[in-house]
Amino acid sequence: MLETRLAERSASPTKWSGGRLLHIHIAPAASFEMEEIEEANFIAGRGIEGDRYFLGTGTYSPKPDYREVTLFEIETLEALARNDPPLQSGPIMLAPEDHRRNLTVRGVPLNHLVGKRFRVGQAVLYGGRLNFPCRYIEELLGLPLYLPLYNRSGLNCRIEKGAVVRRGDPVEPLDD
Amino acid sequence: MTARIIMKMAVADTRAITDSVRVITLRHPRRAHLPKPTPGSHVDLHLPGGQIRQYSLCGDPDDDTVYQIAVKREDDGRGASRWIHDNLTAGGVIPVSAPRNNFPLAQAERHVFVAGGIGITPILPMTRHLARHNIPFELHYCAHAARDAPFLPALREVCGPRLSTYFSIAGDRPPARLDVETLLKSVTPGTHVYCCGPQRLTQAFRAAANNWPESYVHCEVFKPTLDENFVAEPFDVKLASTGEVLRIPANKSALDVLRAHGVGLPSSCEFGICGSCACRYVDGTVIHRDSVLDITARQEQMILCVSRARVSVTLDL
Repeated sequence: MLETRLAERSASPTKWSGGRLLHIHIAPAASFEMEEIEEANFIAGRGIEGDRYFLGTGTYSPKPDYREVTLFEIETLEALARNDPPLQSGPIMLAPEDHRRNLTVRGVPLNHLVGKRFRVGQAVLYGGRLNFPCRYIEELLGLPLYLPLYNRSGLNCRIEKGAVVRRGDPVEPLDD
Repeated sequence: MTARIIMKMAVADTRAITDSVRVITLRHPRRAHLPKPTPGSHVDLHLPGGQIRQYSLCGDPDDDTVYQIAVKREDDGRGASRWIHDNLTAGGVIPVSAPRNNFPLAQAERHVFVAGGIGITPILPMTRHLARHNIPFELHYCAHAARDAPFLPALREVCGPRLSTYFSIAGDRPPARLDVETLLKSVTPGTHVYCCGPQRLTQAFRAAANNWPESYVHCEVFKPTLDENFVAEPFDVKLASTGEVLRIPANKSALDVLRAHGVGLPSSCEFGICGSCACRYVDGTVIHRDSVLDITARQEQMILCVSRARVSVTLDL
């Protein structure tokens, strides 16, 4: 029964028509503050020009992984700001430059995009794996983020097709 | 050591306060409020070429809009202070870490400070804080001469009669020398004592405080952020649940060996930053080499990907 239901579910793709790229952030090396940029050069198979995972200077650069570009939902920041779910003593105000993922998006169900291809502006990304919260970010920001980010810590992606991507670009599903 | 954010800060102002000391005021180009330091904190400056240097914050600890550091030009040093004096000018940009405090003020009813020369930098904000909160203290400040003593006017203003100065060149008056031993003998019980300054002074201070309880004696020591001379030795890991003993060779981590023996453990960064592979230990002397656990956590946990043990350790597994 369960297997049949799962099969049915995977056969019917997520109904999602698209969202928007709100912010682009990069950092030159591990622990450096993220800096907002208006447009970014996505290089296929490598990363965002100037970012630590493009330069090989990131905290996790020595570990092979899908880290060419990372995404984060602004809906998660909004949930943290209203302490939803109420996991800690109060709201956590986390700005888009603080979560340390490259792209902050609205209306993009990141947890549904693992193993899927999708478009950000003219670039094509592949959802490699869900990001996992890490104690490192708690230390860096001095905020209790580990538990509140569980299962909504963003998506780590590979760049399949490079392009210059700009703030405000649409984020859209690709049929494949 | 804990991870700290590194901010590209702008030099708002730089001015000489003695012949060899410059005070540099750093401001964030976007953030009005900076990670707040506590009295005694330092920041790391990331210099071009990869050098990282620690400087104590000497500004008002209640002002979170700027960081101030004082840098003494050391012509015989490794070059960082020369570079800062010659190149860091108003409008320049330099990566600066958030503050960390290895030299905090203790909760005490009374404090006695001994400072020598540029060693005054972490102590100035401490005295500001104590004066503001009416907590008793005294400061004994040694320098070559008054004109070489950084922050003397500010200290006179903040400390008033709580400041005693000792200058080896004092014009017509005989040179004054601080006798640390006599000073420490004279302090009332319950007083915490602090020292920052040249090695000769800190050595005399430590010797004089030799029979003091350690928790009452505070010395500022800058530790290198990376120990390049560390040589890994093999050690044994015992699993508390089964009694099984695993040998960890010098070229492998405890995490690697445990995994190879079928002990499934979470991990993420695998170089001591993320904390995923923290594990409780119940016995043994751990050589902590991570950058994530604080001193309290280290009493009972170790980071299996980088930390090691002297001879053997028993893990709560």
